[in-house]
Amino acid sequence: MILGIDTGGTNVDAVLLDNRGIRGTAKVPNRETRASIRSVLEILRDGTDEFAVDRVVVATTLIVNAAVQRRLPACTNILIPGPGLAPERAFFGEENHVATGAVDHRGRVTEEVAYGAQPSHDVRAVTAKFSHRNPDLERAVRDDIAGDAEAVALGNESGAGLTFPERAATTVANARSMPVFSAYEQAVEEALADVGVEAPIYYLKGDGSMLGDDAMVTSPAHTIRSGSAASALGLVALTDLEAGVAVDIGGTTTDVARVVDGFPATETDVSEGDLDAAYPAVRATSLPIGGDTRIDWTNDGPRLGDERVGNAVAFGGDHPTLTDALHVLGMFTAGDTDAALAALEESAEDPTTVAERILAEFESRVAQRIDETATTETKTLAVGGVLAPYLAPGLVDRADAVTEHRVPDEAAVAGAVGCGVARVSVDTALRIDSPRGVKTITSVGPERVESVPEGERFTDARAREIALEAAREAAAAAGGQPERPAEILAYDRFSVVERSRVVGQIITARARVTPAIDRSLVGGSR
Amino acid sequence: MTMGLVYDEEYLKHEHTPTHPERRERLQYTMDQLEEEGVLASDAVVPIEPLEATDDQIARVHTREYIERLRSMSASGTGMLSVDTHVSEHTWATARLAAGGVIAGLEAVVDGQTDTAFVMARPGGHHAFRGDGHGFCYLNNTAVGIRHVQETTDVERVLVWDWDAHHGDGTQSIFFDDPSVMVMSTHQDGRTLFPGTGDVEDVGTGEGEGYNVNVPVPPKTTDSGYERVVEAVFEPIATQYDPDVLFIEAGQDNHFTDPITDLGVTAQGYAHLMDVAVTAADRLTDGQIVASLAGGYGIEGGLPYTNLAVIASLLGYDTAAIREPSIYTPPSYEPDVNDVIERVRRVHGEYWDL
Repeated sequence: MILGIDTGGTNVDAVLLDNRGIRGTAKVPNRETRASIRSVLEILRDGTDEFAVDRVVVATTLIVNAAVQRRLPACTNILIPGPGLAPERAFFGEENHVATGAVDHRGRVTEEVAYGAQPSHDVRAVTAKFSHRNPDLERAVRDDIAGDAEAVALGNESGAGLTFPERAATTVANARSMPVFSAYEQAVEEALADVGVEAPIYYLKGDGSMLGDDAMVTSPAHTIRSGSAASALGLVALTDLEAGVAVDIGGTTTDVARVVDGFPATETDVSEGDLDAAYPAVRATSLPIGGDTRIDWTNDGPRLGDERVGNAVAFGGDHPTLTDALHVLGMFTAGDTDAALAALEESAEDPTTVAERILAEFESRVAQRIDETATTETKTLAVGGVLAPYLAPGLVDRADAVTEHRVPDEAAVAGAVGCGVARVSVDTALRIDSPRGVKTITSVGPERVESVPEGERFTDARAREIALEAAREAAAAAGGQPERPAEILAYDRFSVVERSRVVGQIITARARVTPAIDRSLVGGSR
Repeated sequence: MTMGLVYDEEYLKHEHTPTHPERRERLQYTMDQLEEEGVLASDAVVPIEPLEATDDQIARVHTREYIERLRSMSASGTGMLSVDTHVSEHTWATARLAAGGVIAGLEAVVDGQTDTAFVMARPGGHHAFRGDGHGFCYLNNTAVGIRHVQETTDVERVLVWDWDAHHGDGTQSIFFDDPSVMVMSTHQDGRTLFPGTGDVEDVGTGEGEGYNVNVPVPPKTTDSGYERVVEAVFEPIATQYDPDVLFIEAGQDNHFTDPITDLGVTAQGYAHLMDVAVTAADRLTDGQIVASLAGGYGIEGGLPYTNLAVIASLLGYDTAAIREPSIYTPPSYEPDVNDVIERVRRVHGEYWDL
């Protein structure tokens, strides 16, 4: 069985899936990571006759929330730029140091590394130009500075397909995320141990594929947009959405994501708060309005306050929210409707008018984002969250781009379902420099440097097969199933001539196990 | 500041022989360096996809007979224009795409789509004559591009500064009698390097007299020697000629690691050369400058750094940290360029105030 856990700003959701479909769901308020996860798992365990977990997949908005609130620690960014453009282009740390040393485009160390400064911050990032061709200089600096550091992230462990400035930004983002993520990851492990779950743990990346916990610990900036990815993935799986927009209405935020070809669309150059990583992530935005967004009484009348201060009054809170407005309009009945009505009566205006205005504001803001997110093929809206059945029809009415909606039965736990149906996919870069007898593979975790016979020649077919093998191995190392189909994203091969002789070949390729959704787990058609 | 970058992977297809100095590896490491530096991903760099130059565009420069000869030779899959200039299956299409690349780069700048442009194409063109080619060149890309904009836009006068280590004999011959294209070539003295031409006395003919300037520098000339030539010859003549567009035939084979030439320029020296060109363009041509990669065979120690230097200069980036790795040692010997400058002053003093 697969256990999906989605820890959002308001709630922790969990689902249990196996090849017969969804076997159980649970939702508890998110108060403290370990206790909340433990309690959601206890509900799940006690409510199902079978609780044999083979795999745990977790999505979290923790890093992004910390970044938006500017709570992530400052970082010393140590660069080894070698010859080239001014290193200031890669100054992404609160403090930036430039070390001497150089790796060239062939991965040869052309200048020895030397770092003489003392970092001011305990969180440190080390990035060398061309470290995806040779990680030695970064490792040498790490060995010098790791002793008194709280976290050290290295460029060669930050992923494939990045340029030097992108890699530096991403490495800084990883370093700054490490302390928060490590504490979270430990709390998750403990909570699972508390309820006797011993299965391997994965985390959802912002692009909708997952990564084993060991790999995520070295590159936790991968969790940027992981919450949006989870709900989009879950809604796609639950509604069989092929193209459209997925909207997940939570307590604190509402996520709006684009779906293309049966998968959440992704984009690059994603930043959240003061965190700037070059990882691909779902094309989604998080609006700061949800079911628990408080109603403010302004000079212009009632408005959504873009902040959650607690539960709706109907659920024991102190301040009226969007959910209370739905009570007043008779659209939603769970909870204390009289209390909701009393709360809205505090204003001078008629409670129904207030509620209508609040609902209209919510609908039009979300509808505008739906129209911005939609493509021309988009006609369908998939909506998740507890309030989905009540709000979806109004969103379709207001948005120009969509004409129909789908709200799955398990809308309230769409994000947790998304975790459960995710698969491993790791972008893997392969470089073979046969005149040097070196093969480097960059994916997640430490870059692998291996030897190949000096001067070896490869056919295109063989070289491509090596790249696919590397992608499958990287996926397996990240906890995936190596038999999944893999694809080549980029490929090049050419001969190297030295002193008028062909001395071997250089092969550059990028490949990955194709991202996918395990629809079989939710009884899907594909 | 935006720069159009004309590049196409088809440029990698043309091949002389597997070990020929002018091979696809030349572009590969440069593209590696540009990619890793984040230059290719920059919003300031606008990718421009070239189209193959048409027969009519090419025929503004080359004879129909020569066009047919190249076409049929390439179709047969084998042949030679000279002992080191081979024709293979992809040569005709790639050569047309290189000429089309210069057209695309010039059009982008003249039409105002980008501020500057760099054409990263091969094969090169400056050894191609109207009816023949040699020196790794087939079509005179530069001439085809210039004739195109002269015919289709307001551009009338173009200054070509060919700083390739080899004298651009083809370009000189095509524009020798034409004052609308001033060809200025700084190159390693023809007595010591292919193609052997490029003497100071070759000043042009007919109406073109005075509009062909050759500065054959002695072997091993360094950054400072080039700096002196630029101040004494390029800057005053460029100012007096006052072109509409400045075109740089960017041969990167003056670099001290180049295996087939014997000059002493560094990556910093190249950044300076392009800085001078950009400054002149700002002053004279409203900033309109297009550069096209010519020679350059120091594939690992030279090209990635010299190409980065000139591209960074075109983009207005800080070039101070661009240098070759310290495993390559620049020459310390400093040949005297006074003699050649004096000869140019004596010969061209008749046409220009030097």
